[in-house]
Amino acid sequence: MTALLEVSGVSVSFDGFRAINNLSFSIGPAELRAIIGPNGAGKTTFMDIITGKTRPDSGTVTFGPRSISLLGLNEARIAREGIGRKFQRPTVFEDQTVEANLILALKAARSPWKVLFWSPKPADLARVRALANEVGLSGHLQRKSGELSHGQKQWLEIAMLLAQEPRLLLVDEPVAGMTPAERAQTTDLLVNLAQDRAVVVVEHDMDFVRRLDCRVTVLHEGAVLAEGSLDHVTRDPQVVSVYLGRG
Amino acid sequence: MTRSFLARTPSVLIFLAALAVFTLAITLLSEGFGAGLISTSFVKTLGKTLCLCLVALAMDLVWGYAGILSLGHMAFFALGGYMIGMWLMYARTEEIVVTALAQGGLPATPEEVQQGIATQIFGVVGSSELPAIWTFAHSLPLQLTLALSVPGLLALVFGWLAFRARVTGVYLSILTQAMTLALALYLFQNDSGLRGNNGLSGLQNLPGLTDTSQDLVSVWFFWASALALGLGYLALAWVVSGKFGSVIRAIRDDEARVRFLGYPVEAYKLFVFTLTALVATLAGVLYYPQAGIINPAELAPIASIYLAVWVAIGGRGRLYGAVIGAGFVSLLSSLFTSGRLPDIPLGPVSIAWVDWWLVILGFSFVAVTLLAPKGIGGLFDRFLHIGTPDRKGAPLGPDDGSLQEQEAQE
Repeated sequence: MTALLEVSGVSVSFDGFRAINNLSFSIGPAELRAIIGPNGAGKTTFMDIITGKTRPDSGTVTFGPRSISLLGLNEARIAREGIGRKFQRPTVFEDQTVEANLILALKAARSPWKVLFWSPKPADLARVRALANEVGLSGHLQRKSGELSHGQKQWLEIAMLLAQEPRLLLVDEPVAGMTPAERAQTTDLLVNLAQDRAVVVVEHDMDFVRRLDCRVTVLHEGAVLAEGSLDHVTRDPQVVSVYLGRG
Repeated sequence: MTRSFLARTPSVLIFLAALAVFTLAITLLSEGFGAGLISTSFVKTLGKTLCLCLVALAMDLVWGYAGILSLGHMAFFALGGYMIGMWLMYARTEEIVVTALAQGGLPATPEEVQQGIATQIFGVVGSSELPAIWTFAHSLPLQLTLALSVPGLLALVFGWLAFRARVTGVYLSILTQAMTLALALYLFQNDSGLRGNNGLSGLQNLPGLTDTSQDLVSVWFFWASALALGLGYLALAWVVSGKFGSVIRAIRDDEARVRFLGYPVEAYKLFVFTLTALVATLAGVLYYPQAGIINPAELAPIASIYLAVWVAIGGRGRLYGAVIGAGFVSLLSSLFTSGRLPDIPLGPVSIAWVDWWLVILGFSFVAVTLLAPKGIGGLFDRFLHIGTPDRKGAPLGPDDGSLQEQEAQE
């Protein structure tokens, strides 16, 4: 199986602080992967590098079957290649309706001219309704998304990610602030999604990671400390010392 | 999003109807075509106000919708005025020069005419050469093409440089202001080729229509301004009503998030900046023949700041708000600065409206910003009960908290 995303030997420093230190990582086209690590391990910087927000000092990042290099592409271009990102805090466009939010995210041409003359076809609207239905927002399509509850916003954002039809999904702490029921629902959704695309989940919550039941990559001080099943990595003495040492 | 454009935006029809009624009423009251109850100079003021409403529409699109606080859009407006002014002045002077030379008996040669025009126009800055930028001033179609393409290109190049470097927020405002100021300072020079601080004048006299009274001309320009405003409103309302409008509002609210959705944010900003610069230019092309004179002071940064104040008072992010703000404030401004209002004597000091108007404007700007951030346009929301519902209180729980404290008690 060839990798969908291949990160190798990447380093980046901010004002002399090495946030990412010779990190290598790869994920297949239909795989679920959890990334854990203590605060400051470089989890967010790692996602920033993949999505083009941060340029690494050295190393390579390639993506897709044609192995195109993501370095030097801007955020929008990388998103169009098929990488979606979910932020920790739900970021939806609060001043616009749920429907408008979903239409914005819907996979379609992104250039200004094409968007100017774009109008929704029945298939697009059906897709919007299906997505809203999937995340339990079908009754709220015409509401402004700013009125939704925190959990509903999270779901709206997930629906927007699905609408983008990404090949790689980066999810930052998806269950923060969710109730146990919502957590279970999110777990099922992520496992389901990973059947035909790559999903990378960054999470603190060990119980949640255990329920995902997938390969785990442990980051520490900007490098991969251990990789394998959760049981495997939690038995690793280095991982134990990092987590216990930090309290 | 499924309904047709006009069904989605009923305000367009209301606006167009109101504009049509207004135009008809003014025509029937004008000296040129009607009862003569409105003076020609007031028709001109109203025509100019319509042009200002058009440029306010442009400002609302770029600021209220796309979130780019440009303090340079009046530069495009004035550039449009300069461009059309060049043709008006050239063609009018040509008529005068040809008539004058014909007195001599012999028909004048083209060189003599050219020389005569150059001396007439540039004598005031001590020159008798026609500068290169006047090459196309003899032809209306060519000069009109220039009038739209020069400010358009300036906006395109400036916007490309600024947006590509991801200059945003207050830094972008400062940059646009610097552009306006630089242009104004350049035009103030006598050798800029546009008559320095004298500017261009006599623009109200249309070439070939020497015998037509200004009573008629003023109404024609009023109609043209109303038509431009109507079409501009329709076009911009269409632009913001669909997915494009949704994208630019999203850029205003969270630019980074829009990038992660795959939209080339810089291209959208450049598109909106250039489009609105073109609308501003068009408004300027119609404004200055009614004003009759243009000079570099029109490009001063303060003009663009006024524009932002009109849009803020009228209500950002809604097109009719911009029109109301520009119309209301600029008409009030011409009333207060006309000198016709009597001073109010208060013992040792007396309130002269010409001086105090700016103070009033300043206070009302502060008041609107603090008390009614949605501006005058927001009043319509209050009547129609749209906008964000006031749900009061904090959510009752983290899960699906649709009920909030106050709602739960009801």
